[in-house]
Amino acid sequence: MIELLRRSAAEGPDRVAIVVDEGTTTYGALLASAERVSAALIARRITRFAVLDHDAANVVALLAGSSLAGAEACQYPPTEDADEVAALASRFEHDVVVSAEPLDLPGVTVLAPSELIENGAVSRGEPPAQRPLIVLTTGTTGAPRGVRQDWNRLVRAVRRVEPAEGQRWLLAYGLHQFAGLQILMHVFAAGATLVAPAPRRPREGLAAMRTHLVTHASATPTYWRFLLAELRSDGAAVPALAQITLGGEAIPAPLLGQLSEAFPDARISQVYAASEFGSSGSQRDGRNGLSLDVLDRGDDADLAMKIVDGELWVRSRIGMLGYYGEEPVDADNWRATGDLVEIVEDRILFRGRTSEVINVGGVKVHPLPIEDRVGAVDGVDMARVYGRANAMTGAIVAVEVVAAPGADTDAIAAAIREACADLPPASRPRSVKFVDSVSMSGNKIIRRDR
Amino acid sequence: MGNSKEKAEQTVRSFIDRVKPEAGEITLDSPLYADGIGLDSLETAELSAVLEDELGSDPFTADEMPQTLADILAFYGDEVVADA
Repeated sequence: MIELLRRSAAEGPDRVAIVVDEGTTTYGALLASAERVSAALIARRITRFAVLDHDAANVVALLAGSSLAGAEACQYPPTEDADEVAALASRFEHDVVVSAEPLDLPGVTVLAPSELIENGAVSRGEPPAQRPLIVLTTGTTGAPRGVRQDWNRLVRAVRRVEPAEGQRWLLAYGLHQFAGLQILMHVFAAGATLVAPAPRRPREGLAAMRTHLVTHASATPTYWRFLLAELRSDGAAVPALAQITLGGEAIPAPLLGQLSEAFPDARISQVYAASEFGSSGSQRDGRNGLSLDVLDRGDDADLAMKIVDGELWVRSRIGMLGYYGEEPVDADNWRATGDLVEIVEDRILFRGRTSEVINVGGVKVHPLPIEDRVGAVDGVDMARVYGRANAMTGAIVAVEVVAAPGADTDAIAAAIREACADLPPASRPRSVKFVDSVSMSGNKIIRRDR
Repeated sequence: MGNSKEKAEQTVRSFIDRVKPEAGEITLDSPLYADGIGLDSLETAELSAVLEDELGSDPFTADEMPQTLADILAFYGDEVVADA
C-alpha cells in the first residue's frame, strides 16, 4: 500500500489521488499524511487499532500509514451505535480505536484521526516484512469475522496494473470492504484518481459520475440496477464511462445487455473475488460468468478453481492468512466458496449460494434464475427470491418485489406468475409480496428512497 | 369489513378462480384435492401461504389437514376482520 502511494507520489505529487464531496487530496499530500501516521503509530507504540471514519482521505492515510509502520489496522463498518462499536472492539480485542466521532468506550483509547494524521514527525523508512491488516466480513450468518490479510499479498494482486493517470474511478464500495480496498489499490497502482462520494448509494454515485467526470466504475449488480433506474427516471446526461466492472454478487442475465445499451462506449468486465481468497482476475469479454479456462490454471497459479458437486472451490496463495482468533489456513488447501455454479456451453454461470438453495418438498430450487425472470418483468425495480417456510412442503418459493413508483401491483403479480409459468412447478413463485426495500445477499439492504 | 370466515371464503374462492379456473362451481363440501377441485401439493402450499397473508393464520398448520372449503372455514372464528 505505502509503496503504491510512494510510487504515484514520486511520479506526480500534485496529481489528484482522492476526490470527496468536500474537496480533493493530492498524492503528495496523502503520502505526507501517511508518513506522519506511521511516525505517530510508532511513537505511541500502537501495533494494532480499529478505524471508524467515513472520510476516504483520512482512511487511506491511516491504512497507508499502518502499512508503513507494520501496525494492524481494522476498519469497522459505518455505525453510529456505540454499543456496536464496543462489541466489535471487544470481539477483536482492540484497545485503540481511531474515530472521527467522539466515543465513550471503557478500557479503550479513542483517538481522533487528526491526532495521528497531523502529528509533526514523519516516518520515511521502508515498511517491515510483515504488514498485517484485518478486513471484517459482512456477517451474513452472524457476527462479522476478521479476515487476516497482509499488505504484501494484497499489493501482489495489482502488480500488473498499467499506469493510467487519466482514469477516474468511482468508489461504490466502502473502504472497509475487501472490494473497496481492491479498487483503492488498483487506483493507486495506476496513479489514477479515486472519486469517493458519500453516502455510497447509486443516486450519489450517479451524481458523482457526472460532477467529477468519472471514467471507470466498479460496483455490485444490485448497485448497477439501481443506478440504471436512477438514470432512466432523472433523464439527465449519461456519464461517459469507459469501463464498467461488476462483482460481489451473481449477475442477473439481462443486466449486461442493459448496461451495454445505457453505456455503449463502456467496456464491461466482471470480477470474482472474496476477502478470504482474493481476486480471480477480470473477465473482460462482456459475457456473463467465468470462462472455462479458469479451471485449467495449473498447480503454479496464485488462484486455482475447481467445481465439486456444483459448488466452486478455490486454492489461493494470495488469499487470507486465516480468520482472527483461529488457526492459520494452509495456502495449498482447497476451500469451498459456497457459490453454486453450472457449466453452460463454455461458461461457468453462478446460480446462487449454497445457503440460499430452497428445498421445496425435497426439490432443490436455486433462487437466482427465478430472480432473473422476475427482475425482467415490467414495473419490477428489484426482486429477491427466497424460501418461505410452509406447512405443506417445508418451503415454497417466495418473492419480495420493490415496484416502480406508480406501478399496478396486481398487474405486476400476474405478470410475474406468467413469466414463471413454464418453470418446474417447485420453482414457480407461490408468494409475491410488495415491499419498500429488500434485503440482499451479504446483509445489504436495498431501499427505494423516493 | 367482514368476519374471518367470510374473508377466508372470499380468499379461497378467489385463489381457486386463479389457479383452477376449470374447477367450476365450488360448494362448501367440494373436496379440495384429487377427486374434487384438484389442488396439488404445491397449489395447496400456495393456498396456505395466501391464507396466512390474508388472515394471519393458516389452517394447514393444524393437526387435521382441511379436506374441504368447509374445513378451512371451520378453522377461522367469527371475529370481525379488516379488509387487506
